[in-house]
Amino acid sequence: MMTPRPILSSLRRHKIAAFLIVLEIALAFAIVSNAVYMVIGRLQRIDLRSGIDERGLVLLRLATASKQNGSVASAQTDLATLRAIPGVESASAINTLPLSGSQWSLAYSLRPMRAFSDGVQVPVFFGGPGLLQTLGIRVIQGSAFQPSAYSDLSPKDVFKAFVNARQALITQAFAQRLWPHASAVGKVMYMGETPVLVVGVVSNIIQPYIGADAHDPANYYGVISPFRAGPDLNAWYALRCQPAACARVLKAGAAKLQAMHPTETLNAQESFTHMRQRYFRDDRSMAWLLVSTVIALLGVTAIGIVGLASFWVQQRTRQIGVRRALGARRIDILRYFQTENFLLATAGIALGCAAAIGINVWLMAHYAVPRLPVMYLPLGALLLWGLGQLAVLGPALRAARVAPTVAMRSA
Amino acid sequence: MLDMREIAKVYRTETIETHALRGFTLSVREGEFVAVTGPSGSGKTTFLTIAGLLEDFNSGEYILDGVNVHGMNDDQRSRLRNEKIGFVFQAFNLIPDLNVLDNVEVPLHYRRGIGAAERRKRAIGALERVGLSARMRHYPAELSGGQQQRAAIARALAGSPRLLLADEPTGNLDTAMARGVMELIEELHREGATVVMVTHDPDLAARAERNVHIVDGMATGILEEPRFRPSLRERTGTDVPHGGA
Ligand SMILES: Nc1ncnc2c1ncn2[C@@H]1O[C@H](COP(=O)(O)OP(=O)(O)OP(=O)(O)O)[C@@H](O)[C@H]1O
Ligand SMILES: [Mg+2]
Repeated sequence: MMTPRPILSSLRRHKIAAFLIVLEIALAFAIVSNAVYMVIGRLQRIDLRSGIDERGLVLLRLATASKQNGSVASAQTDLATLRAIPGVESASAINTLPLSGSQWSLAYSLRPMRAFSDGVQVPVFFGGPGLLQTLGIRVIQGSAFQPSAYSDLSPKDVFKAFVNARQALITQAFAQRLWPHASAVGKVMYMGETPVLVVGVVSNIIQPYIGADAHDPANYYGVISPFRAGPDLNAWYALRCQPAACARVLKAGAAKLQAMHPTETLNAQESFTHMRQRYFRDDRSMAWLLVSTVIALLGVTAIGIVGLASFWVQQRTRQIGVRRALGARRIDILRYFQTENFLLATAGIALGCAAAIGINVWLMAHYAVPRLPVMYLPLGALLLWGLGQLAVLGPALRAARVAPTVAMRSA
Repeated sequence: MLDMREIAKVYRTETIETHALRGFTLSVREGEFVAVTGPSGSGKTTFLTIAGLLEDFNSGEYILDGVNVHGMNDDQRSRLRNEKIGFVFQAFNLIPDLNVLDNVEVPLHYRRGIGAAERRKRAIGALERVGLSARMRHYPAELSGGQQQRAAIARALAGSPRLLLADEPTGNLDTAMARGVMELIEELHREGATVVMVTHDPDLAARAERNVHIVDGMATGILEEPRFRPSLRERTGTDVPHGGA
C-alpha cells in the first residue's frame, strides 16, 4: 500500500501541472455544483403541482378587452353556447389561470393596511359560480359562496367592486400563512381598509406567475373573489370536458365563438397542458443549457485529467518499472495513480468549495437564484471524485501494465 | 540460494526470434559472490531479469531460496522479489521526484506489516551502512554518480534481501567512484551477502569468488577464483545480507 506522503512529495516536484489540474477541478466543482442545483431547481418548477385538475381542461380567449361586446352578459351567452357542445361538463369565464403568466394581485393583511406593502401580495381569481368545478378545486373547510354573493365585474368599476366585496375563499397555503394555528373560516382579513370575511378554505392553486424558488409556499397563496368576469377583463373561457373529447371540444368551441363574434379574433386556443408546457418552456431550455454546460465542463475536466495522467505515466514509465522491480504489484501501481488523482481532486474540491459559494452569492445578488444548499457540496465532491477516478483509470491501468524489466532494460 | 537448470528464454518479435538463453544452468550458493561476464548480447541481463523474477522463462527449472518459481503469478513474483531480492542497476534508477530517504523506503512500502516508523528506521540504517546518512534529504540530482549508486545499494539492502543482483553497477561511474562502489559491494559480501554481479570489467570480475562466463546464452567456462575467499562467511555460515538490522 502506498501512503499519501511520498505521493505528495512527488507532486510537489510538479507544482505547475498539479496546480493547473487542481484549478480545473476546482472550477468544474464550483460551476457544476451551482449548475446542478439550478437544474434541479428548474426541474422542480417544471414538476410543480398546479392544484387544479389539468386533464380535460381546455382554454379559449377572445381578444375583446375593453370592447362593447365583452361584458359579463355577453360572456354568459358565450358560455351557454359552449356548454352545449357535446363532451363539455362545465364552463366558466375566469380572470386568470394558474401558470398563465399574468395575474391580478391584491394585498391582504390581518389588520387594516395603510400601504399596499403592509400586506401579503396574493393573486385573486374570480370566475362566477362555475370556477371551482371547472378548475377542479375542492372546498376543504367552510363553504363555497352563496349564489347571491356573486356580482358582475366590469373594467369601469373594478376598484369600487373590490372595496364592496366582503367575502373570499382562500387557499390552504394562504390560510396557513395568515392563521398558522387556527381555522381560517369565519376570520376576517383586510384588503386595504376593507374587512373581508373568509367563508371557506380551498385546495391549493398555484399562482399564475411563480417565483424562482419552487419550494416557496407563497407559490400557492391565492384568493377567490365572488365576481363574474367577461372578455373585457381579458377573461379566459375555461371548459372542462371528457379528456377524450378535448381536442374536438376545443375546435368546436373556437368555431362557435368565431361564428358568434365574427369581428373578433381568438388570442388563445389551447389545452391547459399545453399552456403549462409553454409556461415552463424557458425553464426547460435553461435546464438543458445547464445540463449541456455541466456535461461539457465535466468532459473537458475528464480530458484534462486523462491528458495529464497519461503524460505522467509516460514520463514515469521508468520509475514504474523500478517500483515493479522493487516489489510493487500491478494493483499497487494502479492505486498509486488513483491515490494521486484522489489527492488532486480533493485539493480541487476544497478550493472549489469556496468558489462554489462565491458563485452562488453572486448569482443570488444578480439573478433570482436561492442559496445553494450545503448538501450540494458533498454531492458535487462525490461527482468529481468519481469523475477523477474514472478518468485516471485508463492511464493508471496502462501504468500497471508497465513491465518490471523496464528497470533493467531501458538505459 | 539460486538454482537454474536448463533455462531457455526466447524473445519473439514480429520478424525475429532471439534465443537469449538456452540450456542455461547455474547454481549460486548462499553467501557466494559471483561475477558474470560475457560479450554484449550474450544474455547476461536476460539471466538477471529471470533470476530477479522480472520476467518469465520458456523452459527449464528455477529454484530461488528453496522455492520453485515456475508457474507463479505476477503478484506472487512481485512479493518474492520484494522479500528476497535486492537490485542494483547500471543506471542507478533512483526515483528523481523523491529524496534519498524516500527512495530507500520505496521497497518497504510494498512489504506487508511494516509501519512508517519501522520503515524509516530501516531506511536510515541502510543509508548509514552505505555512508550516506548525511545526504538523506537530498534529491538524486543533487548527488554524484557514486553517491547515487550507494543510495541505490542502500535501497536494495533496506528490505534485507537474500540475494543481491547487480547489472554493471559501476558501468556508469568513473574509475574512482567505481572503486568505491565495488569496495562497498565487497564489504557487503564479507558481511554475508550473496551477490551476483554482471560486469564488463575483467578486473572487477577477478575480485569475485567465482566467474561465470556467458556466451550465446549459455553459461560456459565456469572458473573458480580462489584468491578471494572471505573468512567471515565461512565462519558464520548462514549469514545473509541485511539492511543494517
Ligand atoms: N525484449 C527483448 N526483445 C527482443 N530481444 C531481446 C529483448 N531483450 C533482449 N533481447 C535480445 O536478447 C539477447 C540477449 O540480451 P541481453 O540484454 O541479455 O544481453 P547482455 O549480455 O546483457 O548484453 P550487454 O552486455 O550489451 O548488456 C540480445 O540479442 C538482445 O537483443
Ligand atoms: Mg546487459
